[in-house]
Amino acid sequence: MTDTSLFERFAGMFNNVAGQGHGSILFVFFAGVVFGTIIQYVRADKFEKIAGFAMLKDTVVPKMLFLTVGLTSIGLYFMVDSGYASYHIKPIILSGLVIGGVLFGASMAIMGKCPGTGPVSISEGRVDVLVGAIGGVFGALVFTIFYDDIFHAMMGESMGKITLPSLVPGYETLSVIIFGVSLIAISIILPMKELVDEADICQITGKKLEDVEVKE
Amino acid sequence: MKRSIPWWLGGILMTMLLLFTFSIVGADRPIGASTYIPYLAGLTFNLDPEKYRYLKEIENSGAWEGVFLLGMLLGGFFSSIFITKTFRISLIPTAWVKYKNSSIKSRMMYSFVSGFFMIIGARLAGGCTSGHFMSGMGQIAISAMVFGGVVLITLIITGQLFYNLKDPSTQGEKND
Repeated sequence: MTDTSLFERFAGMFNNVAGQGHGSILFVFFAGVVFGTIIQYVRADKFEKIAGFAMLKDTVVPKMLFLTVGLTSIGLYFMVDSGYASYHIKPIILSGLVIGGVLFGASMAIMGKCPGTGPVSISEGRVDVLVGAIGGVFGALVFTIFYDDIFHAMMGESMGKITLPSLVPGYETLSVIIFGVSLIAISIILPMKELVDEADICQITGKKLEDVEVKE
Repeated sequence: MKRSIPWWLGGILMTMLLLFTFSIVGADRPIGASTYIPYLAGLTFNLDPEKYRYLKEIENSGAWEGVFLLGMLLGGFFSSIFITKTFRISLIPTAWVKYKNSSIKSRMMYSFVSGFFMIIGARLAGGCTSGHFMSGMGQIAISAMVFGGVVLITLIITGQLFYNLKDPSTQGEKND
């Protein structure tokens, strides 16, 4: 085991990013700032938005996600086509995707956060999410330590890094446009529902919680 | 300043960020947000990447996302103070009290356990809402669609079974 201080190990993180060729430290940091601000500004980090979607009482998160995916799929396809970007496809590890997806989906409904929205929530003062993040660190430790013995085998063999357009040779562009437009259409058609957090209204208006009418 | 922006503006801004990060003038890679957790766990507990194969595999993307995480925390903190003005220390979400129970202990316990399994789930699948759902489906990857479909179904089933959705007016008492 290498004998380094915590400070040196964190310095190593920055050195690693600087040498990766995937954007400067400043770029990566700034992209994070923008990501956090967007999530926060849409209020997508709120329990009421994600757990609210699981309860089918709020549709802000799926509407935003489907729109993002739809627009990105079309934009990115043409960027890749003209050489301004490249695809970085994750492999199809079927049992990993299914078992992982079930664990992830159930946990997301209960915590009301995911790994991208959780930190934003913590930064706005949510202690329960911080406790969830500590749980996550222990989950990550267990995963790392038992990766060789248990988890790697659970993930199964890779069935390749396949994209939808590669399955329909000759119709690549058309398939991307159909995929993208369908998702954009879903995001628009999906009925708008909002589960409001009364505590937020109280904080903004200065009213006490009891005074605010419960809205759905 | 407005306290929140609508979903469609959020979606357009997020698309611009994703495309810029993907582009060769940006970072030439997707955005992900779950690899930083095992990476930071490894750093904090001084696990040797030479000994743990998984840490070796995620060394680069973990470091990238670690720096990204620091930005996320700062961005969320500043906008909660200056833009949405929703920063407050809170222990239990309002809707949890309304649809589950008013016990802080129960919320903390469920939070810890769901956090634990969420990260194991994300690492088994090789991504999360950011890496699979947004970045992966943005690349029209089959792996992301499988993950996204399973997550959507499980999320909704769990939400329907876990919370008390029948008559919210009688909730709020300890009835777990």
